[in-house]
Order: sequence, then structure tokens, then C-alpha cells
Amino acid sequence: MPTDALTGLVDRSAFRTRLETALAEWKPDTSGPAVLMVDLDRFKAVNDSLGHPAGDALLRIAAKRLRAAVRGTDLAARLGGDEFAVLLTAPVSPDAAAMVAARLVDLLARPYLVQGQAASVGASVGLAFAEPDCTTADALIGRADMAMYQAKGDGRGRVGFFSAALQQRADLRRQTEQELRAALPLGQLELFYQPQYDLNVGQLSGFEALLRWRHPLRGLVPPDDFIPIAEEIRLISSLGEWVLRTACAEAARWPGAMTVAVNVAAQQFESGRLVGIVEAALEAAGLPGPRLELEITESSLLNDPGGIVTTQLTALKAMGVAISLDDFGTGYSSLSQLRSFPFDRVKIDRSFVNDHAVVRAITAMGTSMGIRTTAEGVETAAQLENVRREGCHEVQGYLLGRPLPASAIPETIARLVGGTDLLKEDT
Amino acid sequence: MSTSADLVRLVYVSRNLVPPAEAEAAVQAILGASRRRNPAMGVTGALLFSEDCFAQSLEGPLPAVEALFEHIQMDARHDQVVLLEAGPISRRDFGDWSMAFAGHCSDAALCFEALVATPSESSSRVLDVLRGAVGRAKRVLA
Repeated sequence: MPTDALTGLVDRSAFRTRLETALAEWKPDTSGPAVLMVDLDRFKAVNDSLGHPAGDALLRIAAKRLRAAVRGTDLAARLGGDEFAVLLTAPVSPDAAAMVAARLVDLLARPYLVQGQAASVGASVGLAFAEPDCTTADALIGRADMAMYQAKGDGRGRVGFFSAALQQRADLRRQTEQELRAALPLGQLELFYQPQYDLNVGQLSGFEALLRWRHPLRGLVPPDDFIPIAEEIRLISSLGEWVLRTACAEAARWPGAMTVAVNVAAQQFESGRLVGIVEAALEAAGLPGPRLELEITESSLLNDPGGIVTTQLTALKAMGVAISLDDFGTGYSSLSQLRSFPFDRVKIDRSFVNDHAVVRAITAMGTSMGIRTTAEGVETAAQLENVRREGCHEVQGYLLGRPLPASAIPETIARLVGGTDLLKEDT
Repeated sequence: MSTSADLVRLVYVSRNLVPPAEAEAAVQAILGASRRRNPAMGVTGALLFSEDCFAQSLEGPLPAVEALFEHIQMDARHDQVVLLEAGPISRRDFGDWSMAFAGHCSDAALCFEALVATPSESSSRVLDVLRGAVGRAKRVLA
């Protein structure tokens, strides 16, 4: 049987062959066979810090632990890299299989001594059983894999169990991914705009552009349901480019000098093309730079080797574009981040709208650093009064206006210029 | 015993899973196995046993210590193995002992929680206790 040269376990092809045999011999009235997919957590860190020979030594030890933890009739395999699999031959009860899986998580997470140095990794394990609707090696491996990714997603170092619900979620997810890729070409994306008010002058000052997906069957999909997916499948940069172009074009048609704020994802900085894209969008729309504001989150700055993000932000700022730090308070919220770039604005995350102390602290910090602050998520008159008293410069929230479709904006501006009663100070 | 340049020492603590009623038999079994196996491997060391933890120092050639540690890892009589120290040494502390038994310890500072809370200090604390206990045994036997 073909074996893996490093560990002496069988390799992927031999594992598939043995699994096919086990499935062919399976009588559906017995429990099993089952497949455990085992993936080491943080293995790359061992390779990076102790070197590949130490990593290989760890894999050899892990393989021994794996073999020691299963019955003689079971089959342990190394599928490649730090990925292992176990075939639990029938009969094996669900309880027994779960116990083996839990034991693997425990054993593989114990410390390793490699080349005289201590190393540690964890293991995420996925478990799936042969079922009448899952009788091929690929299908069963696929299910165990899905369960393993579930375990990883739930925080690693644990066992994930395949279930019909897990399959449904994975199917929906795959479908959403495919449809999302087609959403832009099919014209299903549109921008909504939420008003932003300047508290000092008591006037509408601009709008934040918010991406919406009008799905033909599901209706308007909330951003939280598709933006994270777009980021994961690395679609966010092309969506972001469309948002920039569209927002600039639509804002150029608004009466007056209203600003438009556009969210920029961390990935959009990676190609180094953002400055050119913004420049082109402004030029095509005929929108002056100072009417555009880009909102970035702290995560964009967290990983900025070589200062590629700050370099691009500096170039954008030189074009007159304002740069704001979004969702402040939810991430690291560190002073060093606020100092890493001369931000024009900090947006206080909506979750702090009722927290006087936090609003006061961020506003005071912003004011002393010459950075304006915007309170987000203002929904009640009391919250408005609070953030105004604490010195916020701008507000945004349902109290002052929900996000509106582009077609409604010119009329909204006409109606609101001159102020809204909500912003009149009580006298 | 050799004091060659590749000599290493490893100190670990782990959570003792042996029920108190079976503790005595378990310790005897562990010591018996160690004394049978360790001389051929060139491994010496000392074992400490408390209500909730094992603490052990192993010293010998690197490959032997690695293999023995891996074997110990898989033992179902303990879990949560925490390596306190692993590194080269110039001479053995327990050169006369295939596995010295430093006894049952009831010192609160040597409970599992306390030891793993500060691994950098625990290694020397465990070694001190092991050396002290083994030193006393030597004097008694002398």
C-alpha cells in the first residue's frame, strides 16, 4: 500500500482505495464506517519558528499518536501537509467514534519534544458516518472535511460532527457565493445613502454610501449577510471599486456641496491600486476630492507591513479626500493607531451610543488631536442630546434618517437644507 | 553514566488522574517500569507525586529523552502535561537513579495549578524538591 514517506502512514490515494473497499462491504444496517478528518492547528507557527526539520519531526510524532489512538482495524493516513485522516471501520457506534475523535484532539494537543525543543499544536477533527445517501469515498471525505471546518470555525481544538443542518448551511453558503459573484454583472447591487448631520451648524452635511444587494428571490440582503462573504472570497475589491465609482457619480448630481462617505475594506489596499481607482472615480464623476470621504476600519491598519496602507492614505489625503476611522471602539482602539495617520474623523461605533463615558473619552481624545468625531447609531432624542453634550461634531442614525435609495437623495437634500427641527437646541 | 555533550534534561508536571485508592499501586508500577526500561536508554531521573499532580525530571541523551517523553505523554494515568524545562545540561542531578522516587508531596505550592501558573519558576522549584528528597534518601541509605 502506498505510504507517506515522512510518517509511514498510508497516503491519500491508499486511504481512498481502502475507504472505497470499506464502503463497498458496508451493510447499511450496521453503524460505520466513519471518517475522521484531522487538521493540526498552528502547525505553520512551528515550521516558522523552529524550522522545517522540527516541523517534520512533529508530524512524525503526531502520526504515531494518531496510530496509537485507533484500533488495529482502523486506518490512519496522512493526506498531505498537516492534514490527517482516520478510517474507522464498521462496526463503530457514534459514541465510540466521538470518543476516538475527542481522544485525538486531546492527544495531538499534548506538548511535543522535537530536536530538544518544546512545541505545541492543536487539532481540529471532523467526523462523518457513511449513510445511505453518502456511500462514496469522496462524499464521505467531503462530509468529514465540512465537519472539520466547522470545528475550526467554532474555535479549533474540538470535534465537529457532520449533520444535515451543516450540509444545508454549506449549500446555502456556496449558493450565496455563486450568486454574489454574479450580483454585480447582473445589476443587483445598489447604494443607499444615510444622512450625516453637523451638530455645530445644525445642518445636513453629507451621506454615507451603504451597499445593498437586491436579490431576485431574497429581496434586499442585509450587508452583514454578504459583505463578510465578499471579503472571504476576495470579491470585496471589485465591489468596492464599483461602490466608489457609483457613489462619486451619484454625489456629483446632488445639489450643493454635500459630502459622500464610502467604506473601504482592508483588501482594497492590497493591490496598491486604490489611489488610481479613487482618482479615476472622482475624475469620471467630476466630483472635487474634498467632497469624498473614505471610511476605513482599524483592521486595515493592524496589518500594514511596509506602511502600504498609510502611504496610500497619505496620497488620497493629498487629493483632498477626507479619511475617517470607522467603528472606533470595537477593535483595538489604540492611541497608536489614531496617531499612525492624520485622520480627519473618528466614527464612534453604534454600540457606545448610550455609554456617556466612552463617547466623552473618544470625543475629548479626538478634539485634542484635531480629529472630528461622529456618533453613529443615534436612534432617540435622548441619545442625540447626550452625544451633543459630550461634544461630538456629527451624528448619524435612524433618528435623523434611515439609509435611502439614490433616487430619494436630491429631494431629501432640498427638504433638509436649512436644518431639521430635531437639531434645534432646546432654548 | 555518561556525561556526554548531548545530555539534556526535561522537567514536566501533569495532572494526576489516578484515584487516591490506586495511587500507591500506580506509583509502584511507574517506578518499576522506569527502572526496567531506563538503564538501557541511558535515562536517569526523579519522580514526585502529589494528590493532583506528577512532576518528573528526565535526563539523558536527547533521542532517548524524546522517545521516553513521547511514551509518557500517551499514558492515560495523567493529562495536561506541561513542559517546564527542556534543554542541555552539563551533568546529571540523578545519575545514580534510573528513577528516584521523591515521594508523595503535600506542599500546597506543588499543586498542579500553582506549578503551571508560573512555569519558568516551577522548574527550579520542582528540581529543588526532587534534589532535596533524593539527597535525604541518599544520606539515609549511606
